[in-house]
Amino acid sequence: MSSTTATDCQVPMEDASALLRPTLVTGNRSLGDVTRDICAPMERKATKLWWAAFLVASSALLLGLTAVTYQITVGIGTWGLNRTVGWAFDITNFVFWVGIGHAGTLISAVLFLFRQKWRTSVNRSAEAMTLFAVICASIFPLIHMGRPWLAFWTFPYPNTRGPLWVNFKSPLLWDVFAISTYFLISAVFWYVGLLPDLATIRDRGRAGLRTRLARIFSLGWDGSARTWHRHETVYLLLAGLATPLVFSVHTIVSMDFATSVIPGWHTTVFPPYFVAGAIFSGLAMVLTLMIIARKVMQLEHYITIFHIEMMCKLMLSMGCIVGLAYGTEFFIAAYSGNPYEQFAFMNRAFGPYSWAYLTMVTCNVLVPQLLWFRWVRRNIVTVFAISILINIGMWFERFVIIVTSLHRDFLPSSWAHYIPTSIEIATLIGSFGLFFTCFLLFCRFIPVIAMAEVKGVLKVKRRKSSVAVSQEEVA
Amino acid sequence: MAILFLLRSIVPCATIEVLSMKRDNAKSDPDRPKDATHPGAVDQGGLNRRRFLEAAGFSISLAAIGGCRRAPRQIALPFPIQPPGVIPGQMRYYASTCEGCSASCGLLVGTRDGRPLKMEGMPEHPLSGGGLCAVGQAVPMELYDSQRLMAPLRDGKTASWFDIDQEIIAALRSVREQKKSVRFVSSTITSPTLQATIDSFLGQFADAKHITLDAVSSSAILDAHEQTHGSRLLPHYRLERAEVLVSFGADFLGTWISPVEYTAAWRDRRIPTVEHPAMSYHVQFEGRMSLTGSNADRRIQIRPEEQRLLLEHLASNIAILAGDRLDWPLQPDPPLLNGNLGTLLDEVAERLWKAKNRSLVLSDSQDVDEQILVNYINHLLGSYGATIDLERPSRQRQGNDREVAQLLEDLKTGNVGALLVARTDLTHNLPDRASLLDAIGHVPLIVSFAEREDDFASLARFVCPDHRPLESWSDAEPIDGLVSLAQPTLNPQGKTRSILESLALWSSRRDSAYDIVRAHWRGAILPRCPEAGDFQQFWDETLQKGFVHLTPRATRVRAFDKSVLKPPRPAEAPDGFSLVLYTNVAMPESRHAHNPWLQELPDPVTKVTWGNYVSLSPHVAAELGLKEGDVLEVNAEDAEARIELPLVIQPGQHDRVLAIALAYGCKGTERFAGIGPEWLEARPTVQPGERVGKNAARFLHFQNGSLRYSRDNVTLRKTAKRRQLAATQEHHAIEVPPDVAPHGAARREIIQETTLAAFTKNPEAGAAEVHYDPEAQLWPEDHPKKDHHWGMVIDLNACTGCSACMIACQSENNVPVVGADEVRRHREMHWLRIDRYYEGEDAREGVAHQPMLCQHCDNAPCETVCPVLATVHSSEGLNEQIYNRCVGTRYCANNCPYKVRRFNWFEYAHDDLLQNLALNPDVTVRSRGVMEKCSMCVQRIEEARIAARSAGVPLADGDVQTACQQSCPARAIVFGDMNDLKSEIHAAQQNPRRYRVLEELNVRPSVSYLRVVKNQDEQNEKNKEA
Repeated sequence: MSSTTATDCQVPMEDASALLRPTLVTGNRSLGDVTRDICAPMERKATKLWWAAFLVASSALLLGLTAVTYQITVGIGTWGLNRTVGWAFDITNFVFWVGIGHAGTLISAVLFLFRQKWRTSVNRSAEAMTLFAVICASIFPLIHMGRPWLAFWTFPYPNTRGPLWVNFKSPLLWDVFAISTYFLISAVFWYVGLLPDLATIRDRGRAGLRTRLARIFSLGWDGSARTWHRHETVYLLLAGLATPLVFSVHTIVSMDFATSVIPGWHTTVFPPYFVAGAIFSGLAMVLTLMIIARKVMQLEHYITIFHIEMMCKLMLSMGCIVGLAYGTEFFIAAYSGNPYEQFAFMNRAFGPYSWAYLTMVTCNVLVPQLLWFRWVRRNIVTVFAISILINIGMWFERFVIIVTSLHRDFLPSSWAHYIPTSIEIATLIGSFGLFFTCFLLFCRFIPVIAMAEVKGVLKVKRRKSSVAVSQEEVA
Repeated sequence: MAILFLLRSIVPCATIEVLSMKRDNAKSDPDRPKDATHPGAVDQGGLNRRRFLEAAGFSISLAAIGGCRRAPRQIALPFPIQPPGVIPGQMRYYASTCEGCSASCGLLVGTRDGRPLKMEGMPEHPLSGGGLCAVGQAVPMELYDSQRLMAPLRDGKTASWFDIDQEIIAALRSVREQKKSVRFVSSTITSPTLQATIDSFLGQFADAKHITLDAVSSSAILDAHEQTHGSRLLPHYRLERAEVLVSFGADFLGTWISPVEYTAAWRDRRIPTVEHPAMSYHVQFEGRMSLTGSNADRRIQIRPEEQRLLLEHLASNIAILAGDRLDWPLQPDPPLLNGNLGTLLDEVAERLWKAKNRSLVLSDSQDVDEQILVNYINHLLGSYGATIDLERPSRQRQGNDREVAQLLEDLKTGNVGALLVARTDLTHNLPDRASLLDAIGHVPLIVSFAEREDDFASLARFVCPDHRPLESWSDAEPIDGLVSLAQPTLNPQGKTRSILESLALWSSRRDSAYDIVRAHWRGAILPRCPEAGDFQQFWDETLQKGFVHLTPRATRVRAFDKSVLKPPRPAEAPDGFSLVLYTNVAMPESRHAHNPWLQELPDPVTKVTWGNYVSLSPHVAAELGLKEGDVLEVNAEDAEARIELPLVIQPGQHDRVLAIALAYGCKGTERFAGIGPEWLEARPTVQPGERVGKNAARFLHFQNGSLRYSRDNVTLRKTAKRRQLAATQEHHAIEVPPDVAPHGAARREIIQETTLAAFTKNPEAGAAEVHYDPEAQLWPEDHPKKDHHWGMVIDLNACTGCSACMIACQSENNVPVVGADEVRRHREMHWLRIDRYYEGEDAREGVAHQPMLCQHCDNAPCETVCPVLATVHSSEGLNEQIYNRCVGTRYCANNCPYKVRRFNWFEYAHDDLLQNLALNPDVTVRSRGVMEKCSMCVQRIEEARIAARSAGVPLADGDVQTACQQSCPARAIVFGDMNDLKSEIHAAQQNPRRYRVLEELNVRPSVSYLRVVKNQDEQNEKNKEA
């Protein structure tokens, strides 16, 4: 706790003392308040707003389910793909959702390792978002197959076909490993972090299913020092395990493209570019969700302007990396002297899909520049708008990479256009439906903020130590 | 059910007579290994516990698997009597004659278990020389068509032959008694037997006439020869002897008269080698962009009305060179001939004259005067007797338009008592259908021999369906003195009857077609073969060989008569647009309209499938603000004809020319509405109530005794409608679009070209500039192809783009038809496609055709990316696709630089049991959700390997022929083992013209191409570079 760095000492303006550490939880909440506040949404009846949101989300999910059922029954031809553009919405959505998940892991694991205390208010929901996003993402590689019922063939298991193994050279196989590992670690990490809170729910002593389930899933948490010690050790270890995943998963996803021969895909900058993009889009999604959640669930004391500003800064830095990556691609194409590569990028920016490219650059590079201004970062409305735009922009980034590179490749005779069908659009809507349905259920039944962790950063508790540190620094 | 058909068809009607002509590599397997253990044998050790458990486990799991789904009911019965030489599952080839058009190419019918499956060219045939066009190869689709007539019709209802014969005979008797006239209309009949049968049938009547109406008539050529040479005949053009070839509109590589023969002949002079850097010089004058024009060394856009003027000019020029005195003076440069054309014609005349006796001028003009000018030019050039054979004239087009016009008059008089129509759709192919219907109404007896209820058949009181070509005996004499036999290869599937039998019966002779053909051969053919002795031996030999050379009939040809030449007419400037009517390579006659393979075969030039369209030059389209797919109304006011068709923008077309294909809009093509997959957003291939394309025959007109395929004074109006074309190619230029082209790299080196002049200096001229060593590899070869290494070389200079290979591949490899909507969505399934690129603005610098198929790369990008190893490399260099392992991620297709992989987006296989008889049992029918692509006919490789193994000899070069290679009329494809240093492919790979497409990616394709060489001077090359 004593290793806080100077950069952490961002001081909110409203705080009287500029020297004091930032207030992470405002409103002078006591430990009991925290439990009450956070458990309240779960214990009271669902609000009309929640029901409205749930209705919309589950309708979208149902629409998506119908679309996917239809597509699996009739054939993948119900998508707008063709002999030239073999992937479009499917893999765009996949990469988009995997990317969304990354911010969750970043916040929960990387920021944990860096002792960024402000993460406590957002990490639970960010991790939940990761889980749901990965679920959404993993659906697409499954349903994009011509014969999804044979998807288990992508797992290397001993079989009676020879045995016939999978192709370890294929980036798609790496994806299988990367995504499944990612999901597993994220789920375990999330669950381990949830244990003390489940115990809190259990201990609130209300009769009902929730308490009974909490009793089972809290795994006999007794709050003893030993339990805490082990919990924190495990948590730290898992954080250590999850951290490389932030980088590896999207690196591997990017290799789906980078290892191919298609100009516009065959790019060595893709791994860092994709990781930055993933975190960028994930942060935007976390912000979108947080801004809604704090309003709807009255958690303004826990998710403060300070949190939002911190996220904005992270987002701005990621946005700049992404912008740099866009520029690098063009520079390398020009520098390479490879006419196919040069054409791919000319075509990307000025060809038939230039509107998509323009959307992408505007949303991902130009719009985030507003975040240099402090008032923008601290204005809920602007931040919300920017986060939505970045989400749109990042979806288009994947669309641009996939579709514009494929639709005009080497032989001009095979060039083709891609237009999505209603089934694909319904599937995309359905994936959002799934995500929000899961998230709304999560908000309703699981503490959205890690109570145990927030209690650890309450002002009452932290003020003393911070002052001590500041005094040491002054001395 | 399929098996029942199979059994019915398994013993052809004259199996005992049929002598097989088998391909060498399909040798039978007499030496079955003697020590082969019986599959059911249990060894003497008996059943122990372990063995019992194994067996029990196996049978239980079998039972469990079997229980999962109801097994399809199958009945397989052995032959009651094994036909001699028939081995189940082995392809046998029977020599026959193609009846797809009147060109009568030699055919090898590949049959298997009594089913004709694969049409192949007969390599020994003197005309076609092993080639076969797309139409000929698509015959199986028409043979196994469940919607053709299976029984005769009376008043549109099925009736028995007995009743129909009674009525027809009675009706004919009354015609005879009333001394009314009889008219028999057919397309060109090359069959001497059928001709004799028709003649003897018509002989019963006082006023009877056989009128020949061709789908596309060449009547003017015959009429012109009647005037100039005193005999109405179509000469036999010997393109292989022509060093300078000038064609005025004749699309001889595509659809004109005998395209396979002409392609083979043309190709002979198109291959320059280092030792003989020479090739023919081919100039094409035309209004639209034809396949032939796209292959010419020089292509000049003209309006059809200018043709006469050009011919007069050319004739005058050559007359001057030949010192021939004309009664009329050389035309001064007339206003219609712009400056360039004048000098150009001088040049052409000079080149023609220089190659005297080795040059040829062709024209498809239907103006007899123009054809007389062509004859005059050819006469001056000494082409008669050299490049034009009049002694053995062609019988491939006999249409007589004057008689057709007379027929229409006769019909109106009401004196025609009987009208019999065979092998042509009279009302579909002639203009002014309404008045024709009126005239036909007066005829008491109308008989159609159509195999399906086409437009005329639906008007006829009696429809007496003829057998399909592969079901009956016939013969053909395409060139005087060359006679071939067509033999049945399966039993007729319906209650159809050979036209020979019908006509004989109505002439009160009850003979089978077999007897009729034999009788004619005994009486008329045998005497023309002096060296033949015994008839049976002559017959057997001819049947096995497929054709025989005879003494030609004496033709009375007199010397060229100059007096028929007419002085030039004052030229009138044509008004409005000129409309050119033509036929597509894929659809030369309306009778093929029910063939889904042909409907989905993209036109070699426009690449449009499923229907016809109006084509217009890019300038005019831009001027009028028209976009591709806009529906235009084409109006010929003087003919009161109008048609609404979508627009295709055709580079290289004359600015004042519109072109529309004939042979579309056929009755019954409504059936294709549901040929594609059905799903939420699917659009039917044919709109409800519409047909595939529209019939443009309404624009035809008779003028001076011939049916004209062009007319001027045509206007154009844009309608508010749009119809998206089902085209397989979206970008047409070899250059990438200028707005996104990187500096200096607009043209990709996919097609490499050079000129003959440059090639003569440096055989490697035209090669792409390379900054790397193509042979250098980063890693040592880890999978050397020790045994065989299959590869292919495609000579782009020979390839004309005729698309025969596409149908060959489709037929061999069970490639499904997907319908217009799927084609619009770019999901056509052809494993082998032909890329067509226009070069330069408005295709001025030429057109390139490039067959593109799986390149079987040694460093295949598709193989590394498949997660489940569904596409792997064989030890013989083949890139193999394993359908039942494929889960359908489509990553392989994305990563294929050539985009040759095809995905089964839907379940494309149809439950059409009859149609499915056309499927090749050696090739899997792919299910939904799997990837497929060219396999280099791996089933043929295996077949040849098995044959070689049973014969105990190694595989020899030429044992394996891929389907595309076998039937290529231009012999542009060489396939073989690249490891065999004596093979043809090895030699082809040493060709200095050889290059590989996208070689710089280091995917190391096994398919290479030979550079295009155009017979042009180097100036063009420099212009191109500049």
